[in-house]
Amino acid sequence: MNHLTLNAALIGVLGLLAVGFYALLTGRNLIKLIIALQILVKAALLGLVVAGNVNNQINISQSMAITVIVVDTVVAVIGLALAVQIRRQQGTLDVRQLSNLKG
Amino acid sequence: MMIILLAAGLLVCAFQSIRAKRLLPSAIWLAGASAVLSITFYLLGATQLAVFELSIGAGLVTVLFVFAISIAGEDAITSRAVIPKPLAWGLVLLSLVLMGWFIIPIETRQLAVEETGLTTVFWHQRALDLLVQIVQIFSGVLGLLGLLAEAKAPLSYPVAEEVAERGKREIDAMAPSILQEEEA
Amino acid sequence: MATTIIILSIALPWFGALCVWLAGDKKPQRTHYLAMIFSIITGCISLLLLLNFDAHEAVDVFMGGVFGRFTLIPDGMGVFLAIVAAVIGCLAVIFSIDYMHEEEQLARYYSLVLLFIGAMIGLVLSGSLLFMFVFWEITAFCSYALISFHNDDPKAVAGGIKALIMTQLGGLGLLAGAILCYVNFSSYQISVFLAEASSLPQTVLSVAAFGFLLAAAAKSAQVPFQTWLPDAMEAPTPISALIHAATMVNAGVYLLARFYPAFKDVTGWSFAVMLVGFLSAFLAAVMALASQDLKRVLAYSTISQLGYMVYAIGVGGVFASQFHLMSHSVFKALLFLGAGAVIHTVGTRDMRQMGGLGVKMPLTRTVYIIGAWGLAGLPVANGFFSKEAIMEAGHANGPVWAFIGMAVVAGLTALYSTRMIAMVFYGKPDVEKDIHDAGFAMRAPLVLLAVGTITTWLLAGPFASSLKASMPFHEFHLAGTFELAAEVILAPPTWIVLGVIGLGILLWLARRWFYGLARIFQPVIRFAEQGLGFEHLNRGLIKLTNSTAKLFQKSQTGQLNWNLAGLVIGLLAVILYLTWRT
Repeated sequence: MNHLTLNAALIGVLGLLAVGFYALLTGRNLIKLIIALQILVKAALLGLVVAGNVNNQINISQSMAITVIVVDTVVAVIGLALAVQIRRQQGTLDVRQLSNLKG
Repeated sequence: MMIILLAAGLLVCAFQSIRAKRLLPSAIWLAGASAVLSITFYLLGATQLAVFELSIGAGLVTVLFVFAISIAGEDAITSRAVIPKPLAWGLVLLSLVLMGWFIIPIETRQLAVEETGLTTVFWHQRALDLLVQIVQIFSGVLGLLGLLAEAKAPLSYPVAEEVAERGKREIDAMAPSILQEEEA
Repeated sequence: MATTIIILSIALPWFGALCVWLAGDKKPQRTHYLAMIFSIITGCISLLLLLNFDAHEAVDVFMGGVFGRFTLIPDGMGVFLAIVAAVIGCLAVIFSIDYMHEEEQLARYYSLVLLFIGAMIGLVLSGSLLFMFVFWEITAFCSYALISFHNDDPKAVAGGIKALIMTQLGGLGLLAGAILCYVNFSSYQISVFLAEASSLPQTVLSVAAFGFLLAAAAKSAQVPFQTWLPDAMEAPTPISALIHAATMVNAGVYLLARFYPAFKDVTGWSFAVMLVGFLSAFLAAVMALASQDLKRVLAYSTISQLGYMVYAIGVGGVFASQFHLMSHSVFKALLFLGAGAVIHTVGTRDMRQMGGLGVKMPLTRTVYIIGAWGLAGLPVANGFFSKEAIMEAGHANGPVWAFIGMAVVAGLTALYSTRMIAMVFYGKPDVEKDIHDAGFAMRAPLVLLAVGTITTWLLAGPFASSLKASMPFHEFHLAGTFELAAEVILAPPTWIVLGVIGLGILLWLARRWFYGLARIFQPVIRFAEQGLGFEHLNRGLIKLTNSTAKLFQKSQTGQLNWNLAGLVIGLLAVILYLTWRT
């Protein structure tokens, strides 16, 4: 892999991180926040693969990435189940109004 | 060259995903980002990972999102953000520019060619990871069952219908004053 | 052999605490007897420690990394205090069987008491500063939990929190000392610290010395930290006897005694210690004279006697202070348990509503008088020998004004003890009240402690020789029991102090002639009832803590976006730090 493509991939990683963090900071819908989490994880995966490519140890980085995908999927599952329950019980998915842990 | 285009495509899909007004297009754009990412993985040499990412990211997670969105419904959210947009942009850009200053000029190294295949690494060298994944999936299933169980007793806090009921009552309470204004 | 005994003496009460907690509240008799069995076994096992004195570590476990070695050393000072803790703990538990007869939530009570006993034994036997701090904190927690045992009573809860905050602030001094030790010597071991203390630069040693003084003053309720002990009297009386008279408050004095060789050459330290002890003894004696609440009088008396011990350390009489510590534990526990028997029957702590109880409670009156005999320091109780030993040390090494002051305090002690006994047990009885003497479970500990008050001074010789044999860093020039006794009886300071004590007792008996004098002192007495102005300081401190906490509460908005922004700011901070580093 040449220099330019790898650096472009890294810029992609940073860009995805930026998009993900921005959405986390300004998103109001709970499901949007979970989508933002997914974007952040994609950034991490891409970073892992680039690192594996550079160090010529692509298989180790693939194993780690598979673990991360499994974990992240479970997180998404539980997060969405929570969102559904919150919608049923609090009546809203607006993060601004879900502040029972205030103080 | 392909990878530069793919990286650009990835950024576009992610950005569209969070910019979409409704939740369902958001989830579909996320699936698109997954697909682009999977091709990138293939081109960077992580072939098996590409398959994983496509099937799970563009498949399973998207289906989950569509399910959840259809159950939870879509309401328009009108409240203002807690953190003003310029501040959010500032924080994010600052941290990422700094991070970029660290990592961007990446040097390729001439290392020895790796001998072990994915199977050996996955099932033997990183067996602990495997165990962790199994435990994770198991606990995820249990968590899901626990969360989505039907309540045995009536809930003590309001359910969506009752919230709607309450809203309607508030509107009815406001109505007479409107009538009074018309009469006066 | 010593290893097993020591480990058992800490592990057994803790295991007992677990068992009692699991036994629950459904069958109170079962909980009472389970606790009693565990405490008796602990007491017996700790007595076995008398056979094994050693300056070397009996238990030495490497805890890994930065935590150092966890060591337990059965040297003379530690073993005697451990025995005091275990035996008086056992007696307090037996007393509780009757005292807490109709109370609820006994499992919580007994498990906390057993946890406390184990932690106290660990504290005095510990050879590592870090683990001494850990045990110190466990005892502070148990003290708080037991003071607020009646957690539906706001006064009890407030008292518990006050005790907790003040002793924890002192604990910071101990932690600072431990960290200083580790930073300079790469080890938390006390033996290393004592051996190499002179190699530390003066400033560092001074910081450690005054930090330890602060910790000791806070834990032992000395000036200026003395206000928590009277408020801690909301605890059930067996707890006041065990924790706030016989064991936990001794931890501060123990700390000063153990580290005396390291700090005695720090400029101003000995004087500061002596001054703290003297002020506490004097002020507390005045406050005891003005108080109407029976347990408060005993609390102030505890502060005053601890002041004696701290004063003794300040003038170099380390053996005298530890001897008085032993005697004081016995007679003060006796007085508290006796007061508990009285309060249990009468139902109030106010001395003005008692009177003439001696008629119906002869046994309690007798043991109480024996306890007060020891408190006032009259022969032949153990208090006499230990207090006179302190006065002798003070006369030999300390300034004259301090000696005169402490003699006056001895007189005041006699005065308020006589007042206490007269108000409670003599005078006109209230015939309408239903008074009965203590039950068997209350009587047994009382009698045992009374016997102890008259006899424990005989242990002075063995105590002295064990100290000389097993504590390499302290210098003791000591002899056998009867030599010590003769030394005490024949010394001139003894006669002076005995004279002042006699004057004190006479003053009460002849009080009618002095009422005019008392009226002049009325404003002073009222000021003393209010705690001599320290209460205002304390209330201010607590208000400050609360308002700072409320200020920090504002950052918890409960908004998810806000928390996530905190995360991103943290990330930014880390990256900035890394940028700055390169």
